[in-house]
Amino acid sequence: MSVTKLAYYPGCPSDATAIDQDMSTKAVFEKLGVELVEVEDWNCCGAAEVEEPELVYALNARNLAIAEKEGLDIVTPCSICYYNLERSNIALKADDKLRAKVKGIDSSLDYNGKIKAKHVLDVFVNDIGLEELSSKMSKKLNLKVAPYYGCYIGRPPETAFDDPDDPDSMDKLIELMGGEIVPFSQMKTFCCGGPLMMTRSDIAFEMARKILDTAKSAGADCIALACPLCGMMLDGKQADIEKALHVEIDMPVVYITQLLGLALGIDAKELGLNKNAVDTKEILGKVV
Amino acid sequence: MIKTWELDPNFKEEIMKERGGEHLTACFQCSTCTIGCPITEYVPSYNPRKIIQMSLLGMRKEVLSNPDLWVCLICQTCTARCPQDVRISDLLSAIRRIADKEAEAGNIKIDSSRPIFDKAFQHQLEKYGRLYDIGLAKEYYPKREGSFFKGMMAMMNDYKDFGMRMFKKGKMGPKAMFPEKVKDRAVMKKIFEEMGEK
Amino acid sequence: MGIAIIGGGVAGITAALDLANSGYKVYLVEKNAELGGKMAELAECKVGLSPRVVEIENHPNIDLMLSSELESLSGSAGNFTLKVSGTTVEAESVILAPGYDVFDNIAKSYGFGSPDVVTSLDFEGMLRASTMSGELLRPSDNKPVKKIGFIKCVGSRCQENEICSTACCAYTAKEVWVVKERYPDIDVSVFYMDIRVFGKDEELVAELKDKYGVKYIRSRVPEVIPERGSLKVKYEDLKKGVIANLDFDLIVLAVGLLPSKTLGRLSEITGVKTDKYGYVETSITSPLETNMPGVFACGTATAPMKVRESVAQASGAALKAAILSQRTEPIPGQEERKYIEVGDEQKIGVFICGCEGEVADSVDIPAVVEQVKQLRDVVLVNGDTNTTKEVLEAIEGGIVDQGLNKIVFAGYTPREYENIFKDAVAKAGLNPYLLEFVNLREQCAWVHDKAEATVVAAGMLRMAVGRARYLEAIPIEQYPVIPKALVIGGGVSGMNAALGIADAGYDICLVEKGPELGGGLRETGELQSGEKASDVLKELADKVASNKRITVYKNAKEENVSGRAGSFKANIVGDGVNEEIEFGACVIATGAKDVVPEGYSGKEVITQAEFGKMLGGTVSANTIAMIQDVGEGVAAKYSSIELVANALKAKEKNPNLNIFVLYQDIKTYGKWEALYKEAREKGVIFLRYENAPKYEGGIVTVFDVILNDDVQIKPDLVVLSTPTVPAEDNERLSKMFKIPLRNGFFMEAQERPKMVLTPVDTVNEGVFICGSAVYPAMIDECMAMSTAAASRACVLLAKNFMETPAVSSVVDEQICVGCGVCVDVCPVEAIELTEELIPVVTFGVATVISGMKKVAKVGDGCIGCGSCASYCPSGAMSLKHFRDRQLYAQLDYAL
Repeated sequence: MSVTKLAYYPGCPSDATAIDQDMSTKAVFEKLGVELVEVEDWNCCGAAEVEEPELVYALNARNLAIAEKEGLDIVTPCSICYYNLERSNIALKADDKLRAKVKGIDSSLDYNGKIKAKHVLDVFVNDIGLEELSSKMSKKLNLKVAPYYGCYIGRPPETAFDDPDDPDSMDKLIELMGGEIVPFSQMKTFCCGGPLMMTRSDIAFEMARKILDTAKSAGADCIALACPLCGMMLDGKQADIEKALHVEIDMPVVYITQLLGLALGIDAKELGLNKNAVDTKEILGKVV
Repeated sequence: MIKTWELDPNFKEEIMKERGGEHLTACFQCSTCTIGCPITEYVPSYNPRKIIQMSLLGMRKEVLSNPDLWVCLICQTCTARCPQDVRISDLLSAIRRIADKEAEAGNIKIDSSRPIFDKAFQHQLEKYGRLYDIGLAKEYYPKREGSFFKGMMAMMNDYKDFGMRMFKKGKMGPKAMFPEKVKDRAVMKKIFEEMGEK
Repeated sequence: MGIAIIGGGVAGITAALDLANSGYKVYLVEKNAELGGKMAELAECKVGLSPRVVEIENHPNIDLMLSSELESLSGSAGNFTLKVSGTTVEAESVILAPGYDVFDNIAKSYGFGSPDVVTSLDFEGMLRASTMSGELLRPSDNKPVKKIGFIKCVGSRCQENEICSTACCAYTAKEVWVVKERYPDIDVSVFYMDIRVFGKDEELVAELKDKYGVKYIRSRVPEVIPERGSLKVKYEDLKKGVIANLDFDLIVLAVGLLPSKTLGRLSEITGVKTDKYGYVETSITSPLETNMPGVFACGTATAPMKVRESVAQASGAALKAAILSQRTEPIPGQEERKYIEVGDEQKIGVFICGCEGEVADSVDIPAVVEQVKQLRDVVLVNGDTNTTKEVLEAIEGGIVDQGLNKIVFAGYTPREYENIFKDAVAKAGLNPYLLEFVNLREQCAWVHDKAEATVVAAGMLRMAVGRARYLEAIPIEQYPVIPKALVIGGGVSGMNAALGIADAGYDICLVEKGPELGGGLRETGELQSGEKASDVLKELADKVASNKRITVYKNAKEENVSGRAGSFKANIVGDGVNEEIEFGACVIATGAKDVVPEGYSGKEVITQAEFGKMLGGTVSANTIAMIQDVGEGVAAKYSSIELVANALKAKEKNPNLNIFVLYQDIKTYGKWEALYKEAREKGVIFLRYENAPKYEGGIVTVFDVILNDDVQIKPDLVVLSTPTVPAEDNERLSKMFKIPLRNGFFMEAQERPKMVLTPVDTVNEGVFICGSAVYPAMIDECMAMSTAAASRACVLLAKNFMETPAVSSVVDEQICVGCGVCVDVCPVEAIELTEELIPVVTFGVATVISGMKKVAKVGDGCIGCGSCASYCPSGAMSLKHFRDRQLYAQLDYAL
């Protein structure tokens, strides 16, 4: 296996709303024999709320620089963190002046552009590889899954590691685990509405509902996803959406790391599957 | 009726000086961005193509005070599909930053709570280096609603069910009441001083 | 030695035939197992192209190297050595015609894998299938298609393929036309950005919109969403300012063109430079020459273009290559031919061809064979052949070995194949007029269902055999070709055509009606390449002046044209000249002229040409409004290109200049798209209107459809793009040379309704057209087209003799009463009444003459149309090969 050790960037929701994602990510990598070294004293990536690109670059330069000192590529389970880390990485690598400017703020921001930033899904499918993963799987998932990718896996082009319109890395992984992909192509990369949650929750709810509805009418047992903001919208807020829009959805939403953990034979509790807002018991019954 | 001589022909250059705004003039008004945008279904007036054409013409005031600027999801669908590499997501961000500065200077009014939220968010990072949800809500809601009391009511309305749900699932414990802080907070302050909005 | 042509698509085929038919040895190298390239995949085009493929396959001067690739090239112009899949070929010059590839990295958002979203090439296949089945069926469920959406610019004018693919707008219009002609009830919408069509294609688009009710919607559609059994397309309704959507059951993606994947390797092998887009680098003043002397390029090797332009470039490249080479081969059809005497015994051979299944799939050929065998005088019936090659061999064998003296061929259309079959019959020693042709494909197999088709085929063959029995050999007369050409028009196209013909070794009369050579280009300042137009003109004019083969007549015009291909006569009349000249071929290059649109007046209003010249000095304006697409006339192909080029130059002089461009469609086709982009990037503002902008009181008012609002501009300068009108002389020349005009421009000969394989040929054989006389075009196109016209003229001039048309009218003077009806109906004024003596009584050796009578006399000009024969009240007039008894015999079997 090409990957044995990675710097781990958990992202802000990792000890709160996405603690389940954090737990499952750590458990899966441990099982796969990949050591995760948490980026020492990491700071927020800027999320979608910091609009000034140079501020984003500086914030992420610090995280990148810390990982670079360890000589490790950086991996994150969050799509937005991934986008911010990698776009900063690209900008800093390409622009000596920018690097010097960032370094001028503080010596801890001295980043030399020697590492890569990766999304966990990318690491699973493209670095570790399906063959390797398959050899370690001990359980089969008899599940119908709607794979939801959200925005930053296939977009924008310079940081994308999958197709912008109809990505399939998660599909492949789910099929490898024995799961069945329900027809979901047009919804795979439709935005969950998360960035408008706090300012236009009316729109955000409608958008999330569209995704949930599509998965439901496609006959999915659950939605699989790879971003804590999507997780918060589709899982954490699902009951609020049901209430506000007077609908009943009841669609379990799990992180791809949780599904992979199950296939690898990790205990559901260790993967935080008791912490998902929508109950996951039914899913667990289909893991054999 | 648009009288071009009353417009600001330098507005396009102003945008193009901002990071992300550089490709503004590549646009050939094909509609790709607008047709594919997920927001138009919910906000029919939202039209990035038109915002670009107005920017090119120099309709500075109309563009900067357009509340639709603030419903962009930054989902990058437009950027991924644009045939001319206009990078619309980044471009709109550049325009929002100019709008924000103009609003700060009191030249325009922005009919959206998004800048308030973004600023509140950034303040958490500046202070703690990481997102502090409660701090964010405490700053955002009162500012949005115009008073502390109204803000608290709005927050309760939005979050009481959610908070309880998260609490029950062990995702928001007493620990969440306090901010998670980066140890090296001095550097956060420096980053914001150097790179943040002036 | 000879000429090596790399690529056997339409361009390679055209170049090969022009060269081989004028006596050059040709090595035609094609990487695939079949000729035809991409064109063979197009519905109508395959049908149109196949006669040429057959001609190549049977051509003695062409070495056809299929499934072969160029491996190396050494030597230099006049002495190249090529390695072609292991074989060594020696050639004096090389033509690169590798064609194009289709953009295939189509975004998955177009249908997310739905089988009902197809590319234009797939759709051509569907149209072909529908020719046979009669129905246009949806791939997913085989249900008839009711609503089709065409989406343009998929894989062109985008990041992955920056330039415009040029051909898509026209080929989409053609596909839509075929759909609407065959299935008027199918609802069609076309989504587009700019409609980049010119001339005939522009008229077609207008017809599609107005007559056929096709909706043209301005939106670049980024996604097609399968939803509840149909395909949803979202677009922007600019008028309403909303995102609207339409449902379709079939979507056709008009995919863009890319340079051929083989071009990179060809460039490495040959040393030919490619440009940043991957096409062969050429210049606008020499569009066929590469950086390597002796290596020429044509068609989509140099830029994306349509069939018409590709074919013109191919003919042009053929001449360029020919000039560097020695003619070594005999020209087919120029050899002595002796025909066998046909006695009283009828030996009719009938050959029914399966036409690669196109006939065999519908007609039960063995059953027809059995019926035909029963017919009187039929001694051989062959129903075993399936390709042209096979049937031609069978016919030749039948004549030579079995002594057949009448041939009935049934299969392809005579329209495109008759000459090939006549030639084969003649080569085998039988007078070609003893061949009877039956079109079993278009007139039977394609239009009848299977049960019916066999009955109809048998009937058609009975008729043909009936007529064949009465066919008679017609003597074929020859006349010498005059190795001299007349070129009309002394502009860039005329001068270049004259130089091309002169370089090939023939004398030329170049007639210019004005006092100076140079034509329209004299009004131009700088070319888009930065060259001064005056320098380009001077170079051409100097070459013309110093060329001993070219005689220039200025202030002159041509009158009293007579004769036919190979042997024309005319008078040159002008400044102290009145000279009769004889010539074998003629090239018309009259050009076109600009007209200033009305409704915009003031001293600050100028034309783009004037602005172009102004850019040589100082431009003292702060705000410029450029208005395009106004006024009566046609928009020249260079109109938008000239506009963006001028705008860019103005911006370069003064970056703070505000330039507003008011337009309907920006037609910067091909690589010129890059100029459009540059103009936008430099800050030129483009405003799209539907109704012509107004200019009053120093203010331009325009309703911008993009903003859905009125926009006003206060310009210091209003620059108008001028529409173009045909040269005044076209009308007169059209009558004199009997070449029809379309909107005042000369029409090319056309074999099929929507396909041009002969862009510089006309219905009057021996007369060729080029440049802005056909349609106002860019200088590169004028150069290529005029070289093509020269090339086509040279193919004719290379012959020693031509044959007089054998099918002409004859008068039985005994019966003719001299009523003169024939004189009135003859469209070419070939008949006159003459006075003849009337014999009444004959006594032994003496004849008593009773007086004089008027008798019709058919002259040389007869074109064999048969009008006189059908109008003649006394039956005195008849048309050879279509005698009454021949036609009655045919009818007897039909009834």
